[in-house]
Amino acid sequence: MIRRLPIRMPFHYAAGASASRFFEVLRDQGRILGRRCTGCRRVLCPATAFCALCGEPTDEWVEVGPGGELLSWTEVPGRGAYALVRLDGGDTAMLHRLLAADAAPRIGDRVRARLADTRAGGILDLEGFELVGEEEVT
Amino acid sequence: MRPVAIIGTGQTRHSKRRDDVSQPELVREAAAAALADADLRPAEVDAILISNMELFEGRAFPELWAGAGAWAIGKPCLKIATGGTSGTSACIAAFHQVAAGCFDTVLVVGFEKHSEGHTQAGMALTDPYWDRSVAAGALGNFALSVCQYVQERGVSERQAAMVAVKARRNAAANPHAHLQLPDLTIEEVLASPVIAAPLRRLDMCPQSDGAAALVVAGEASARRRCRRPAWVKAAVTRHDKPYLGDLDRRLATMRTLRQAAAVAYRQAGIDDPVRDLDVAEIYEPVTYAELAWYEALGFCPDGEAGRLIEDGVTAMDGALPVNPSGGVLSTNPVGASGVIRVAEAALQLHGKGGARQVEGARRALATGYGVYAWSDVIVLESAA
Repeated sequence: MIRRLPIRMPFHYAAGASASRFFEVLRDQGRILGRRCTGCRRVLCPATAFCALCGEPTDEWVEVGPGGELLSWTEVPGRGAYALVRLDGGDTAMLHRLLAADAAPRIGDRVRARLADTRAGGILDLEGFELVGEEEVT
Repeated sequence: MRPVAIIGTGQTRHSKRRDDVSQPELVREAAAAALADADLRPAEVDAILISNMELFEGRAFPELWAGAGAWAIGKPCLKIATGGTSGTSACIAAFHQVAAGCFDTVLVVGFEKHSEGHTQAGMALTDPYWDRSVAAGALGNFALSVCQYVQERGVSERQAAMVAVKARRNAAANPHAHLQLPDLTIEEVLASPVIAAPLRRLDMCPQSDGAAALVVAGEASARRRCRRPAWVKAAVTRHDKPYLGDLDRRLATMRTLRQAAAVAYRQAGIDDPVRDLDVAEIYEPVTYAELAWYEALGFCPDGEAGRLIEDGVTAMDGALPVNPSGGVLSTNPVGASGVIRVAEAALQLHGKGGARQVEGARRALATGYGVYAWSDVIVLESAA
């Protein structure tokens, strides 16, 4: 005997102080911010309250991007492409969507964040990353 | 650590669906097999550890109602859930409990019934702010690391396909294994559809229903009850950062596995793993991961994993057979997969490997891989 039972479970999550400010600035000003670690001095983006590497708190906002370097990418048929991007001025990479490109991307390519037209406070306020041609390097 | 040994192991038949049994019944099947192998009555077990990723079945408290399948009522029983490492973590917890003198005999049971739930929904429950809308699921996330590894080390699709073929051929000698593809060829692997570039369907592990169990005992009990106890010489865990973008070329560096292996090899007196180990059961979620783990585990220098598989060093008749069981690539009930690694390693030392026995195996390695980059490394040894 097999019993079928769907489950619907709505949740709500507090983003916390660092991520809240990151998303507010992204939504309202279209700027991307990182947090500098007081221990290892790395600039972390996504912005977090403390550094996962050395465990120390972060204490300073640093603007990063919108340009960056493509560290890796993959394509999932039917779902699109995804990218791992280190934004200029940051020391960690961000996982996001890779927007349609004419040329096949290569690791090490220059990319740039594209802002969404309407922004609601979330990671999709960045529509994704697009490849930047040689002539328009940011 | 005080001497601790594995004295019995047991597994269910693993398959895509086990509609013939409930979850507690599946647990009972593995627990009963392990107790029979150790010649132990349920009343002689002091404590139980349950390994299960309850998210995947959408059902809470597996330690409670599946625990009953392991005769846990009235005894200390805990659940351990650390993704792919759940099973190896549960084994390590049992080693610690027995080594600390808390209990003399601990039963570890890992299980998963992927067919009953939504594994992808469970896997997608990552960080709600940074990951959920953009992470490409577990597969895409892992594929990003594979791309970096391939670029850096020059591993070919064909070399990855050789890992796929080795695993499935080994599985054909394991009556418990889920995937039975004894005639699989490299060409068939390379012709299977791309799921998340460069990963193809046959580069991937399956989702299985199944359970595995083992019995851990202190020194006196182990010597009394088991002819060839599998003594625990090392058991090491390392975790890493929680965000893929902060993991620095995960597969290429694999800090956690390198660190855990270095400590475990030192504790177990292993200088050259290919020479000093007789068999390895490593947790390889995809083919490329097995190649990356060869390097992280010191089976070869960085950049030579492709050559290692081509030369047959890790084949059943090679210097260090890796995954005689067929590995995670052939059988993957997640909560059980780590227990299977340790049970298969112990079974080799017990000399009960049947058609997959590595003759004269005395020293065995078992590893776990979980979540983003968590690693467990366990070394077992039988007395000369």
